[in-house]
Amino acid sequence: MKPSSQSNKTAIELATFHVGDALCGMDILKVQEINKLMEMTIVPQSPDYVQGILNLRGQIVTIIDLGKKLGLGQTDLGSDPRNIIVNAPGEYVGLLVNKLSDVVAAEPDKIEPAPANMSGIQGVFFTGVYKTDNKLIGVLDIKEVLRTETENINRV
Amino acid sequence: MTFEDDEILQGFIEESLEHLADIENDLLAIEEGGADIDVDLVNKVFRAAHSIKGGAGFMGLTVIQDLAHATENVLGLIRSEKLVPTPEIVNVLLMSSDQLQQLIEDIGNSNKADIASNVDALNMIYEQGEAPSIAAVQPSPILEEQVPTEEPVASETVEEDILEENHEAVLEETVSEEEGTLPPEPDIENDVSPSPVVQGTNKKRKAKSATKPDTSIRVTVSLLDQLMNLAGELVLSRNQLLQTITSGDVRSAETVGQRIDLVTSELQEAIMLTRMQPIGNVFNKFPRVVRDLSGKLNKQMDLTIVGKDVELDKTIIESINDPLTHLVRNSVDHGIESPQERLSKGKDARGLIVLKAYHAAGQVVIEISDDGKGIDGDVLAETAVKKGLVTQEQINVMSEKERINLILLPGFSTAEKVTDVSGRGVGMDVVKTNLDQLGGSIEIESDVGKGSTISIKLPLTLAIIPCQIIMTGGERYAIPQVNLEELLRIPASKISERIEKVGNAEVVRLRGNLLPLIRMSDVFEIERTFFDPVKEFTGKDRRENVADRRSGMLLSEKNTELENIESDGGSDRPEDKRKSDRRQSPASALNIVVVSTGAMKYGLIVDRLHDSEEIVIKPLGRHLQQCKGYAGATIMGDGRIALILDVNSIASMAGLTSLEGSERASKLAEANKEAITQSKDRQALLTFSSSPLENFGVPLNQVERVEKIKSTDVEDVGGRRVMQYRGGSLPLISIDEVAMVQSLDVQDNYLVIVFHLAGKDIGLLATGPIDAVEISTDIDDITLKQTGIMGSAIIGGKTTMLIDIFEVVQAINPQWFEDVTLEDRFGTEVEAPTILIVEDSNFFRNQVRSYLEEAGFNVLEAEDGVEALQIIEEQYNEITLVVTDIEMPNMDGFELTEKIKQHPEYSVLPVIALTTLAAEEDIERGKSVGVDEYHIKLDKERLMESVHKYAQPKNTIH
Repeated sequence: MKPSSQSNKTAIELATFHVGDALCGMDILKVQEINKLMEMTIVPQSPDYVQGILNLRGQIVTIIDLGKKLGLGQTDLGSDPRNIIVNAPGEYVGLLVNKLSDVVAAEPDKIEPAPANMSGIQGVFFTGVYKTDNKLIGVLDIKEVLRTETENINRV
Repeated sequence: MTFEDDEILQGFIEESLEHLADIENDLLAIEEGGADIDVDLVNKVFRAAHSIKGGAGFMGLTVIQDLAHATENVLGLIRSEKLVPTPEIVNVLLMSSDQLQQLIEDIGNSNKADIASNVDALNMIYEQGEAPSIAAVQPSPILEEQVPTEEPVASETVEEDILEENHEAVLEETVSEEEGTLPPEPDIENDVSPSPVVQGTNKKRKAKSATKPDTSIRVTVSLLDQLMNLAGELVLSRNQLLQTITSGDVRSAETVGQRIDLVTSELQEAIMLTRMQPIGNVFNKFPRVVRDLSGKLNKQMDLTIVGKDVELDKTIIESINDPLTHLVRNSVDHGIESPQERLSKGKDARGLIVLKAYHAAGQVVIEISDDGKGIDGDVLAETAVKKGLVTQEQINVMSEKERINLILLPGFSTAEKVTDVSGRGVGMDVVKTNLDQLGGSIEIESDVGKGSTISIKLPLTLAIIPCQIIMTGGERYAIPQVNLEELLRIPASKISERIEKVGNAEVVRLRGNLLPLIRMSDVFEIERTFFDPVKEFTGKDRRENVADRRSGMLLSEKNTELENIESDGGSDRPEDKRKSDRRQSPASALNIVVVSTGAMKYGLIVDRLHDSEEIVIKPLGRHLQQCKGYAGATIMGDGRIALILDVNSIASMAGLTSLEGSERASKLAEANKEAITQSKDRQALLTFSSSPLENFGVPLNQVERVEKIKSTDVEDVGGRRVMQYRGGSLPLISIDEVAMVQSLDVQDNYLVIVFHLAGKDIGLLATGPIDAVEISTDIDDITLKQTGIMGSAIIGGKTTMLIDIFEVVQAINPQWFEDVTLEDRFGTEVEAPTILIVEDSNFFRNQVRSYLEEAGFNVLEAEDGVEALQIIEEQYNEITLVVTDIEMPNMDGFELTEKIKQHPEYSVLPVIALTTLAAEEDIERGKSVGVDEYHIKLDKERLMESVHKYAQPKNTIH
């Protein structure tokens, strides 16, 4: 992680990370902290994308395996993964990712809508795609990612 | 400035409410005293009323002042013994104090309240020295409607202004009053300003949520001092800790750790104490409740209160009020009978209700007991069935206690006629729900005609709960101690005795009761594991069920023996070996947490039991809300999270939904019966081979032991194979000597299955693999039947031939059995006795018949009890003995035996019962209905012994 570059005000900074083979990013302002605590307690009968629960300084944090949630395969716990703790309404939720990458300053108007072949089930989790010189970053819709399955049913 | 902010006003309210709380009980005591006036007591009440009057005057609360004044007048008369406090007068006084309380609680509106009826009543007493008729003192409807509510903001400001003005106006008067010697004010009626409050507005206010202003609580200064001290200590400890961290001194870190531990727990306790209030605060209102109600119902009763000082958390005290009131009202209304009824039953005309609070096992127990008519479980059961809450079948298997607890079911109200006292459609289930929310439990005990006792168990506080920590699948879980009944550990060797498998569910015998078992790993779909306390590791468990009965204890020993044999010779079944080892090791002991959820009780099988700990409940995140079975999570000492189990929902997840699991138990029993009556008698077999292609089985209970020998151990002597065994020679045979099967495979190692027949040992040569199985499939006794083979069955996908060891031995050594043939006993000229075999399974019936016919008996057959009775009726004269199976359709063996034994004529018939289930209680039951002997199926030798003993030919009797 490098310190944020001084960008102009319209630019947003994306914290980027690897989920499966894909490079994803999210607004860094939504990130509470990033840690590598892996002492999780498994919750039997939880939705399969929930990796477990974690004690974050006295708070109980639900850890979601982002790879599973996005349908990009289970995150390998052996390869030094990280939890991105985000502030959800009323609680903290951790997103388990394979590997962290850089912080990228992006201009919002350069974020393109998700390509057609990305839509479908996974498509709903992305607000768009940001293209840098050498890579593509899928920009996550955190609200959508944190939505629980029951809420999905209500929505439809 | 609002009223709530006004400290003086707040102080007045608190003080007045305290006075009023005392007044009530004091008035009741005065009533009790009657003409024998306790001047001190009256003085106390008088002073209380006077203080309220003074304070109200000072605050400009004229209405309160007037009412207090009128009360004071009457009390003055009583004090000077000019007036005898009759119940009517006390009634008026009580009502006035009620109204005072309401006025003070809703102080903002007090000046608008209508108090005319009470003041009039009081004045009438004051002037005429007697109470007016009851009708006149009925409180105005407002009193009943009024609830303490917060004043809507708009009118409050107006109100304030009025009061502000009044403030000064009445100040002078009050001061003079306080100095003076309390002359009764004759001009009281002029002061009364009937307030224009209309009922409608009251109702409107009631509709608004009654949010009370921030409540305050009184804490003793000494407690505050203690808190202050502890806070100081904590700061000191923190400084020490910081210092230690910088210096890195491990030893002093330990000391500091201990210190912080100590201070924290003391602090926790002290803070908890600030929230503690005596339960007397709730109890104190009950004398009045009981008095009023008993008057209304024309009953006489006393109320004894014990343990007013027991302290409980403030929130609990507040929430326990309603359930307790309901219960006390119930006792008064339904429990205590009318004086006439009591006298006719030989009881004292006055009933007694005891309200008792005490500490027990870290909880507070509140008991409400009465000496009334008690609760009749049968009546409850009947009502419950009528209302469709439970079925008659469920009722049939319920204990008396369970029936009484039916009253707690939702939708159950016992009151035959609805009175305004209790029985308003909502019943005990509401009480139970309230208590559940508090983490409490309720238990009802009753003795019809003698009274009932309702015990409520409550936690001391809600914030921190003691929990039992358990482990399953490598994770820790917490079970609230409120739900915990006991912990059970069943050692490996006792599992087969204690645990039974009925249908596909497991139950444990606990002091004579069947307790349903729930395997935690199954409910939560965790991989089954076990914990090995010796090696300290958690491993996967492959056993299908713990109650692998096969043939109980005996078998497990045998199995170990078998497995040991195998392991010597390089077994090809390592899994079996592991299995049998585990069977006896501490790791396969069962850890059971017996939990109760009020009405239901079950055992939760877990991997490991840890300590109990006090934990703080934290909620689970949104994503885990739909997971059932958890009440939250908590953080353990090592920083990891443990989930808190909700034993209620676990029960429903496992499909347990009854009172004390009786429904399930009965279901299980039924399923069990069904399984057996489907004529699939279970039979434990020892399976083995003798040649690579054929499999054999022999009833396990006939096997004496299994030896493993080398082929060189077999000696060929005198045309017979023998081996040295326990200092003698053991004759060895193989199946192929008798039956048309493939010959014994030549191997370096053999297994010798030792049988004990006709008083002699004989060994059957066999080869592995050897196993013990329990089969329930039908046995085919036709296809492969031949000498030495009684039939066949499919076991593990292979056709297995079942060996009739008697036939085999008889074919080889006919002389062994000669001494017990019939001719020797009866002679040829005597007609052979006739034996009736009752058995539903073709296979077993044919087996037994062949044994008997072989021995020369005449045999009659019946397929079930009904048929058997018919045959007995028709041919009673011939039959000398009945041999019956136990589990049969239509009429089982127990019933049949009972019918025979109770019949005047047939009762002399001896009955031998055959069973595959030789459980203790079955045998007991059999004996109790009159079974003469009990035998395990296919144990030919013992059966024949008894048959010979009982079967005396009929004609020798004549």
